[in-house]
Amino acid sequence: MPATSHDVMPDIELYQPADEENALELANTLGNDGWIVGGGQDTYGWLKDRNKSPAAMIEIAQIDAWKGVKETADGIEIGAVTTLTDIANNPLVQAKFGLLATAASKVASPQIRNVGTLGGNLNQDARCWYYRRGLDCYRAGGNICYADSPEGLNREHAIFGASRCVAVTPSDTAPALVALDATMVVASASGERLIPAQDFFVGPDRDIVNMTVLNEGEILTAVRLPNEWANAEFYFEKVADRNVWDFALVNVAAAIKVSGGSISDARIVCGAVECTPRRLEAVENAIRGQQRSEQLANDVAAIATEGAEPLNYNNFKVPLMENLVKRAIRG
Amino acid sequence: MGEIVRYKRDVWGEEVILGVSWDLLWVVAVAVLVLLAAHAIIMAALANKKMDKPSSEGRRVLRHETIDRLFHWIMAASILTLIATGVAPILGLRIAWLNIHWITGLLLTFVVVFHIIRSLFWQDFKSMILGPKDFGEPFDSTQKPGKYTFEQKGMHWAVTVVVLAVIVTGILLFLQIDTPFWERSNSMAENTLGLTFLLHGLSTLALVALAATHIYFALRPEKLFYTRSMVSGWISEDEMAANHDTSLWSPKEAD
Repeated sequence: MPATSHDVMPDIELYQPADEENALELANTLGNDGWIVGGGQDTYGWLKDRNKSPAAMIEIAQIDAWKGVKETADGIEIGAVTTLTDIANNPLVQAKFGLLATAASKVASPQIRNVGTLGGNLNQDARCWYYRRGLDCYRAGGNICYADSPEGLNREHAIFGASRCVAVTPSDTAPALVALDATMVVASASGERLIPAQDFFVGPDRDIVNMTVLNEGEILTAVRLPNEWANAEFYFEKVADRNVWDFALVNVAAAIKVSGGSISDARIVCGAVECTPRRLEAVENAIRGQQRSEQLANDVAAIATEGAEPLNYNNFKVPLMENLVKRAIRG
Repeated sequence: MGEIVRYKRDVWGEEVILGVSWDLLWVVAVAVLVLLAAHAIIMAALANKKMDKPSSEGRRVLRHETIDRLFHWIMAASILTLIATGVAPILGLRIAWLNIHWITGLLLTFVVVFHIIRSLFWQDFKSMILGPKDFGEPFDSTQKPGKYTFEQKGMHWAVTVVVLAVIVTGILLFLQIDTPFWERSNSMAENTLGLTFLLHGLSTLALVALAATHIYFALRPEKLFYTRSMVSGWISEDEMAANHDTSLWSPKEAD
């Protein structure tokens, strides 16, 4: 690789807008040259390694309008720059949407959660080390996937939905939000649009260089959680190589409505198995109307991994995913 | 703007070809648009000097058999689909294009192979050969062509070269992706892969230009009877006499 100086930070114009209007205007003006930074836990890795060097950064962590948790008529709204610690500890989130509180509490380490934001966790870029190393792979605009090659190390990579790139969604909160049927509030200088969480993330078959549907000049400003799934029975589990400061090998987020022992409705989502959070609709359909039990969990778990296409080194994800789904269903 | 080839660093840090610069897509689009607009303006200016339009009434002669028309439209649909799906990600459109692209590519390959075999053994291959005499045709109003005009032969051979280039490079790239038939090996050297992408990209740009030009001429009022013949199979005897040398082309009567 070409020699790169790590002695000093690259020259970057820093903008710190005081309010949302100013931030959106800057995002609109700077377009793709304006890198949106919240807590910086994704951003500074890129900058530190000199593998991305934006001309300008728009820091939005200080914008109060995009911070905090508030109750709405239909649920709650969480500002995108609310820290993961604040979400994990928020009484309202804990009381109604414990799934998200648990997921937020599992992200990385306490120090990272103290500065890392919900928006940052959702919008973070792929963690494939070939890509992060700065190699010109498909995701970086190149012609090749280094992870899925005969010598490629792909233990953490996708078992579903790979299309040239095999990177997975690294977010812990994303599966929880899809399970809770959240809505993403996306703003730009030209207005606001609402996107179901399930449609917010995009796979490499549709867009190989971006992981979300955010367009140039758009900022994720809030996430809305509808009361429909408040106080359902929740299950979140993350399996990683270590308990802190690590990305999931597989995680599962489940919201299950149980009435008289019978499952009336369910949303089950796995992370780190595909480039987007993978909703397990076939499993949901199989358990709907059934008695929640160990037997049911055992019977349907295999459905979760139907169609899986493991790579050279991640076959273990198949039984791991099945077991996590099993645990989520039996509760 | 300004570069034709994009480069990247391979895994060893060496500079290798990445592919064609897609800025050229806009250059090609603008160039074709300007040239075709200029042609349309000149033709409009000369319109009153043109002879009367031959009648489409009367006896009909067969210009294209059903199987050849079918081939033409399958090929046209394939090429337009390939261009659309190939260009979509360059334009930033989020569609799952790759599967549509390679399946259509296979269809195009199949019909082109079919056409080559048919043209060599079952069609009048000589009627499409572009000889030295044909080059005088555009400059001599008394010289009429056989079945195909100089422009038609020129377009056919240009499309042949470009489509074969697209197919050959496309097949090489097809081998580099996962399909139901095999798992990708990712074993092609990065510089070879880049060169293949470059040739595929350049032939795609040429194909965009040729497709636009072909569609333009197919819609020109004085050429519409050829387009009609590609739908219905026939042209009138009057149209044939006005545009072709009947001693060089004697088609059978249309049904």
